[in-house]
Amino acid sequence: MAGMNDIKARIKSVESTMQITKAMELVATSKLRRAKETVERTRPFYQILGKAIDDIASISEEANSVWFDGSRSSKTLFIVFAGDRGLAGGYNSNIFKLAEKLSRGKEAIWLPIGKKALEYYKHRNYDIYSDIFANAADQSVGSILSLGKIVAEGFANDSYGEVVIVFTEFVSMMTQKAVYEKLLPLDVPKAAEQTEFLTDCDPNEIINQIVPEYVGGILYSALCESLASESGARRMAMNSANKNAEEIIGSLMLHYNRARQAAITQEITEIVSGAEAL
Amino acid sequence: MKEFHLEIVTPDGLAYEGMIESLLVNTSEGTVEFLAGHIDYVTALGIGKIRIRENGRDRFASVSGGFVTVSQSEVKLVAITFEFAENIDIDRAKLAKQRATDVIATSKDSKAVEIAKLKLQRALSRIKVYELK
Repeated sequence: MAGMNDIKARIKSVESTMQITKAMELVATSKLRRAKETVERTRPFYQILGKAIDDIASISEEANSVWFDGSRSSKTLFIVFAGDRGLAGGYNSNIFKLAEKLSRGKEAIWLPIGKKALEYYKHRNYDIYSDIFANAADQSVGSILSLGKIVAEGFANDSYGEVVIVFTEFVSMMTQKAVYEKLLPLDVPKAAEQTEFLTDCDPNEIINQIVPEYVGGILYSALCESLASESGARRMAMNSANKNAEEIIGSLMLHYNRARQAAITQEITEIVSGAEAL
Repeated sequence: MKEFHLEIVTPDGLAYEGMIESLLVNTSEGTVEFLAGHIDYVTALGIGKIRIRENGRDRFASVSGGFVTVSQSEVKLVAITFEFAENIDIDRAKLAKQRATDVIATSKDSKAVEIAKLKLQRALSRIKVYELK
């Protein structure tokens, strides 16, 4: 009967798609496990770094260091962490949506990390600051620290007056959230929170040495969070793709069996009526 | 001796946490030793060795970059790299030293030389700390 072969072909095509999504889910799961460990390892660094920079900020009493003043340039640098690949559910588009929202009404320059981010901003002819860090999965601690240095230098040279990072926070295996954080200028500590710190050399010199490392450290944490989130998002997306594929195969099977049954019934009817005619 | 709490973190995680008697570090201004009850203090670290004294025993480590803060007798050391003497891969350090010396001797690219000089410094610090083991 008509349709039987068509249905069979469709089942086959869905099955082969499912094979791919299943493989991708497995890959994402094993990557996720490793990325999760990395995130958990870097978290204490991130927390202590954040607290230490507050302490350090308070040593420059008059806070006239360049790092506290963002008024020398009206531009904002957005560092956007996205994935190298698609098929990760809303992972990439959520980040871009958040970044668009943040940049509205601002003079924005972009530093994309991840091939998808580079593609996105290139396609829209946005002002791209640097594209040498486009491959998110290839970055190491060393390369991110040198990125931190570049970002801090650009700020000190007045290429931009504000640095904002947009990344995906790895909340859990099931949830990832697009978030942002202002990196520079540093917040001037409130007078009440200030503690007296003793230093041997010029406080500004210490700050100048520490800030690039601080920026690099925060960027590295954001990258780890993003990579873990990407695997998490992809695993979830592939998981639901598998479920959908199973559902489709189920309903196609039903149609197929029905068609087969109908074909058999018709054949029998034809034979019986043929025999009667004799 | 009186003890105080030290935490050392690197991008690879918490490298050390515990009660110690003294911490000796090299800063850009010279060597500084921290004992229990140190006044609130902050300084940037260069590349070099640090010494931790716990239970009357000295342990040496090689660090590069980062800073130390003392706040209410809590000492925190944030480093880019940190390795205890016993964890140093001496072959790798020697190889890195060799490679960096080669680059400094042959390369004309001033940026590459600068990077190589830093690498050499790190390698030398590791070798020195390793020998203290």
